[in-house]
Amino acid sequence: MNRVTKWSATCASAGIILVAWETLVRRFEVPEYLLPPPSAIWQKFWQTLSVQLEEIAFTAATTLTGLLAALVVGVLLALVVTYVEPLRSIVLPAFAAFNGIPKIAIAPLLVTWFGLGAEPKILLAFLLGLFPIFVNAATGLSEIEPDVIDLARLSGGTEFRIFRKVRLMNALPYIADAMKVAFPLALVGAIVGEFIGGNRGIGQLILSGQFNLDTPLVFACLVTITVFTSVGIGAVAVFERVFLGWRLSQRRR
Amino acid sequence: MTEAAVVSADAVGMRFGGQQAIDNLSFEVHDGEFVAIVGPSGCGKSTTLRIVSGLATATSGTVRAHGSEVMRPLQDAAMVFQAPVLLPWRRTVENILLTAEMRGEPAAAHRERAGKLARLAGLEGFERHYPHELSGGMQQRVSICRALLLDPSLLLMDEPFGALDVMTREKMGFELQRIWTATRNTVLFVTHSISEAILLSDRILVMSPRPGRIKTDIPVALERPRSVETLKDPRFGELAVTVREQIETT
Repeated sequence: MNRVTKWSATCASAGIILVAWETLVRRFEVPEYLLPPPSAIWQKFWQTLSVQLEEIAFTAATTLTGLLAALVVGVLLALVVTYVEPLRSIVLPAFAAFNGIPKIAIAPLLVTWFGLGAEPKILLAFLLGLFPIFVNAATGLSEIEPDVIDLARLSGGTEFRIFRKVRLMNALPYIADAMKVAFPLALVGAIVGEFIGGNRGIGQLILSGQFNLDTPLVFACLVTITVFTSVGIGAVAVFERVFLGWRLSQRRR
Repeated sequence: MTEAAVVSADAVGMRFGGQQAIDNLSFEVHDGEFVAIVGPSGCGKSTTLRIVSGLATATSGTVRAHGSEVMRPLQDAAMVFQAPVLLPWRRTVENILLTAEMRGEPAAAHRERAGKLARLAGLEGFERHYPHELSGGMQQRVSICRALLLDPSLLLMDEPFGALDVMTREKMGFELQRIWTATRNTVLFVTHSISEAILLSDRILVMSPRPGRIKTDIPVALERPRSVETLKDPRFGELAVTVREQIETT
């Protein structure tokens, strides 16, 4: 299928779902607080656009700050387990145990420790994003054909040159893949953080909608969140296109 | 020990766990020579290459390169493996340039030679292709160019054509001879193919079954360049029989 047919198929199926939703809700007179029709959501979305933007900006800031921290710390930890043999046996089991704790479950604890500001939200976003980035970066740094490393050594390659020209380049696509998973996870962290405490962010707007039985507002928030997520994933895709073009052409085959 | 020996292995032994893989293995390779190593599967041919290159350390005996004992990976050697092991994010020329970058030299200074080698290896028009856009035979040519880029004092080849189909393999053998005639690097070449060994080398070292040692050293006195015609030469047939007998009798 070429791009145009693919796009029109996607748009057509989305259109059919929306029309069916609108028709069924009206036909069976479903109350708006249970399930609003798409038209009501759309209307609410535009009515509340400025407050939506204000709140998603806060959520975006905490999400991206947490994600950036997860990227830096995840890659650093991956470097540690790749290069420091004795630490590998400490870091890996600790990480596995840590990953066994549902991070959402410690969210109330984070509010107790760090208050109602941005900090616990950033921390939750960081904690949720960290694991996939660390695991993928560690895999990308170490899963290299041993022959390549041997060849590099025989040409006089130092560890640093092998890292820069081979390991890091090998890890980039793994890290890009991890970002696509870590970004929505970090967003989950930020929004859950907002649910639990504070008075800012798109999570708080959802809660106020729910509290006032303003279900169209809740749905309008979901639309905003979806747009934000798409932009984030799109940014990673642009990075791939610009820096990892070889990989896209490899995939097309 | 001759002064000119690029490699000299003296009573080399290698144990893996309780197994003696190589025992009392000795040979010399001289400057500009093309030496083939043949032997039954598992006799330690690849291990021998790794020890010579310094990537592995023998458990007994000594290996010298240009007279000095090999204690760590050689810095001016190059290796071609059975798989091309190219970096998928680099195009043909950038893959060839990897050895220069690993030595810490600017790639720009070697670009011209890389292009020259690519043309010599029949890769003209494919300089800007990624590995996945090349055939298996072409990928292996790239890996040979990469190994030759810095004019290594010793080129180690570990069954470089082992993964190719028979037709491509034969063609690559003649290609390698042509490239080698132009560069004259010292080569140590491990292969399973007796005819490949005879067609390419000046000398064939036959290894015994595990624990491997050099059993016979057979000179190949056929004139170069060797071609498909050489296969019909009666001396080729005799050599092939001799080598086969040496491999099969224990």
